Amino acid sequence: MNLFTRWLRSYGLMVTWELRSLRTVLPLAFVVQTMISSGLILGLGFLMHDITATQAQFLAVGVTVVSMITLGMVMAPQLIASQKQSGAYEYLLSLPVPRTTLIAAGLTVHSLIALPGAAVALLIAWLRYDIALSVSPIVIPAALLTLTTAASIGFALAHAIPNPMVTSLVTNVLIFVILFYAPINFPADRLPVWLASVHQVLPFGHSANLMRAGLTEGLASSVGVSFAVLGGWALASWSVTAWVVGRRA
Amino acid sequence: MTADPRDLVVRGLTKRYANGALANDRIDLHVHAGEVFGLLGPNGAGKTTLVKQIIGLLKPSAGSITLGREDFVANPDTARALCAYLPQGALPLSSFRLQEVVELVGRIRGGDAPAVRRRVDHLIAALELDEWRDTAGIELSGGTRRLAGFLMAAVWPAALVILDEPTNDVDPLRRRLLWRLIRQLAEDGSSVLLVTHNVLEAEQSVDRLAVIDKGRIVAMGTPSSLKAGDRQSLRLQLSLVPGVDPPAPPPFAHRPIRLGQRWHLGIDQSDAPEAIRWAQDRMAAGVAEEYVLGATTIEDLYIRLIGREDALDRAS
Repeated sequence: MNLFTRWLRSYGLMVTWELRSLRTVLPLAFVVQTMISSGLILGLGFLMHDITATQAQFLAVGVTVVSMITLGMVMAPQLIASQKQSGAYEYLLSLPVPRTTLIAAGLTVHSLIALPGAAVALLIAWLRYDIALSVSPIVIPAALLTLTTAASIGFALAHAIPNPMVTSLVTNVLIFVILFYAPINFPADRLPVWLASVHQVLPFGHSANLMRAGLTEGLASSVGVSFAVLGGWALASWSVTAWVVGRRA
Repeated sequence: MTADPRDLVVRGLTKRYANGALANDRIDLHVHAGEVFGLLGPNGAGKTTLVKQIIGLLKPSAGSITLGREDFVANPDTARALCAYLPQGALPLSSFRLQEVVELVGRIRGGDAPAVRRRVDHLIAALELDEWRDTAGIELSGGTRRLAGFLMAAVWPAALVILDEPTNDVDPLRRRLLWRLIRQLAEDGSSVLLVTHNVLEAEQSVDRLAVIDKGRIVAMGTPSSLKAGDRQSLRLQLSLVPGVDPPAPPPFAHRPIRLGQRWHLGIDQSDAPEAIRWAQDRMAAGVAEEYVLGATTIEDLYIRLIGREDALDRAS
């Protein structure tokens, strides 16, 4: 077997490992994801009385994005943090597979498991607000990059922060940033100017922008910049994770 | 035994953590291929730190670790490929079924599916685990999880098998089956490095052992060579009445050690009758509750070396 087929074999086995090790968590994650999205769609609807067609589009895509990124950015690092606490993490590191397959398999699984819940979120929003969706092919790379980047950032947080308690704390703070302080469910011009400019370099608003480009018409701008920023975050996260996983204390 | 190109050789291994703690201090070890080598020591002695360096999870501060021609310090990937490892801590088993996870590890270790399946069937039968074959990890008892962990280390041949406390929580019957399988691993050509603080069990099961305390090796050899100095000796163990001042050790006793409410005294065989009289007098005087006179074991040596009661964990 050459190096690449050996890598692929290990990768396939580690994907199997990840899927099976998550099988008790997956149904629960799907339920929580669906509850959060339906709660947001219905609850924010109550808050924002007289919702306009544009606001409904923002909300529908926004809630889908929230659903897509919370599993990778919040649940994945919390799972890894608990693996670190129990010692199971070290066992994985002791397996005779290239460390890159550990990361790649984890990212693949944690990215894709968010899809069903996200699809349900979009469906609920569509049923509630009867929004006009206009799906373009850009939705595929947009969704893949959004999912991968979120999971990559989650992995980098979980691996780079030595104390699992701190990881849990950081990810809990992230939920609030995602829900209320990021231009995901509403346009960036609602935010104070300084916060809007911070979000030009953060991934959240760019994920939402890309998904709006893929699912609606006329609500997204500077799609190329969003691809670049998200790609940058994914690359940076991979580098951090690879460095942390590759080194020995 | 002579040196074999598959031997594990550790030279001058030193590990100082970032906080300054010296966990391993110039450790030298030579584990022969086909040998079961025990690593004994109390909690915090540095045993787990040592094995984590061998498997490549920790980087040594100084020293070398080689298996044959392979340099484990320079190439931790090679270490992971050649070593199978049962860690001391929890294993990620919760959502796996027992047979499934062992098979998956067998495939990850390089086995092809049919061969791994045959090997897993053999191992499950050998440990009499058939009834839990398809039970999810979360529903397994602590001992069965431990055995599943052992199977994950034993499922596919490895040059070095590292078992960190394999018998923890395992029932006495399956402990015996487990020891038989560990011996089989060695006979099949693996070196087995066995970490434990269960001294009596190790004495019966290992070919050679090293006692490690405060990061240093304080004794090494076969169980009988380590006991050689005690060959003419017996052990008198005296349990004191709580709250009573301990009696002065008798003149014929050597190396008296006090462990909480117990006195351990070394006794020459010729002094046995006198020792029994002395112990009975202490009981009659209300100083001692009971006494036991018996052959010395590795445990006596171990207590002497470590000199603390917390070092002890008796076989259940």
